[in-house]
Amino acid sequence: MASRIKYVGLTLFAIPWVVLPLWMVIVNALKPLGEAQALSLSLPHTWAFTDNLDTVVNDGHYLIGLRNSVLITVPAIAIILLLGSMAAWAFARTQSRWLRAAYYLSTLSVLLPPAIIPSIYLLREIGLDGTRLGYALVTIAARIGLVIFLTTGFVRALPEDLEDAASIDGAGPWQTYRHVLLPLLRPILLVGGVILMITVWNDFFFALFLLQGEGSATLPLTLFQFASSTVDTLSWNLVFMHVVLTSLPLIVVYLFVQRRVLSGLTEGAVKG
Amino acid sequence: MASTTLTQATGAPEQTAVRASEQPGPRRRKSPRAGGHWPFFALPAVVLVAVFFALPFLLNAGFAFSDWSGFSEEIGFNGVDNFRTLIDQEIFWPAVRTTLMYAGFMLVFAIGISLSLALLLEQTTRINTIFRSLFFVPVLISPLAAGYIWKGMLASNGPINGMLSFLLPGTVDTAWLGDPTTALPAVALIEAWKWSGLITLVYIAGLKAIPKEMLEAAMIDGANAWTRFWRIRLRMLAPALTFNVAVTLAIALMAYDVIAPTTAGGPGDHTTTLNIAMRLQWGQSFFGPASALSLTVAVLIVVSAVPLVMWMRKKEVN
Repeated sequence: MASRIKYVGLTLFAIPWVVLPLWMVIVNALKPLGEAQALSLSLPHTWAFTDNLDTVVNDGHYLIGLRNSVLITVPAIAIILLLGSMAAWAFARTQSRWLRAAYYLSTLSVLLPPAIIPSIYLLREIGLDGTRLGYALVTIAARIGLVIFLTTGFVRALPEDLEDAASIDGAGPWQTYRHVLLPLLRPILLVGGVILMITVWNDFFFALFLLQGEGSATLPLTLFQFASSTVDTLSWNLVFMHVVLTSLPLIVVYLFVQRRVLSGLTEGAVKG
Repeated sequence: MASTTLTQATGAPEQTAVRASEQPGPRRRKSPRAGGHWPFFALPAVVLVAVFFALPFLLNAGFAFSDWSGFSEEIGFNGVDNFRTLIDQEIFWPAVRTTLMYAGFMLVFAIGISLSLALLLEQTTRINTIFRSLFFVPVLISPLAAGYIWKGMLASNGPINGMLSFLLPGTVDTAWLGDPTTALPAVALIEAWKWSGLITLVYIAGLKAIPKEMLEAAMIDGANAWTRFWRIRLRMLAPALTFNVAVTLAIALMAYDVIAPTTAGGPGDHTTTLNIAMRLQWGQSFFGPASALSLTVAVLIVVSAVPLVMWMRKKEVN
């Protein structure tokens, strides 16, 4: 009985909190302009799916945004996970004062935001201002701290026996890292990777400062430029179509790895 | 460092962590050469952080006190002029106040909603998993897109007012994002919407880490559900709570992405947080004042989140 009340309550909360916003975005993305301006929740009378899609792809530069988002997010996350876990291994297994200082330096970014304006200055000095590479470098430096922080704690909780055994068997440090440590780290790197996907793919603020020109705009930038291009009122159908298409890649990925993501984030590292 | 907080918060094997750190003395390394490679494993990450994170951070402390602008090539030291100008133009203190209020609203919304959801969805049953996964969807949506979605939801002719008009007598047509009194809590609610699915999972992980024996013992001793919640679960949840409060606070103090598409700082300056003001200064080529505002964000995070984490961790131990 009590549990029935609980689920009724949860459903009543979930409807305005999650279901309605998503429904509103999707149905209005499929309507022609006049109909969508009413922001109603009814199904379209006239379907304008292909028209809206056309406009978003052509005027909204959707495909350029998608390409740039992939070109930045995928390598940045791969580099963060690789270099971050290598460093975390070193930080977890040594007592050296220098490495401890380096650990604190590297994990400052868990809470502190990157200093955006000096980053532009620095990138300008080395000729990377406004480029995807410059943006990726600042992103990597700003986000690697979280992975180092999570992974160092995780490695500390692992027994050293396996690594010792590998080195007795003659494995070098790189082989030990590659064949012993990395497989053990999979659960925590999955958690880190998920958080990175969400934050790097969706980043708008830093992209706004660090990327210049339509050619290098990521999806959030193309969405913002597209929505801001209408002067007075937003064309809800087109803005929502862009919102749907911008959010789609992550949602599709999520549908595939949903179970592992949720259990990874709740059970953490215990299983995997 | 707060590493145990997080291993616990994410449900990592805390027991092992304690044992490993209690081992007397560092272990002898087996191979004589072993140890020399450590710096090389740490180096690439450390160099990247030093050049592209730490260096800009130090430079920021300089730029905040400089007259750097888009109008001249030279950058000179000008003391606290930037802050003085921002204060004179009535930008600085209102932005600080707005940012702190935004953070306050977001903390209350995000922590309240997530904690309730976590307590309701703690057990891993099939139906709970469906709900968890539903509440996680907003986490995947970019804060910018979330801003546009809720700009539609909260519009005066939008679905929220439609629902309220249906439930309440009369017609509700409040422009939630256009009204000076509701705009700030409304944008903070959108930010909370975007993050609460993730925060919920951290709480669930924290709840799972509470030993069952402890709750059973309390039950045998006659503690009712209410006492068990306040005296045991909430206290044992402290690490997850600390982590969530600190991260939420940091996110809120940096607020920009949700505000830009919804209110762009308005009406008036009622939602002009420090980063919104910073972007405006930057847009006008006042790079010095922009740096000063950006430095203020960093300082606010340091003076609020860091003592908070230390204070809450102290409470955890007791």
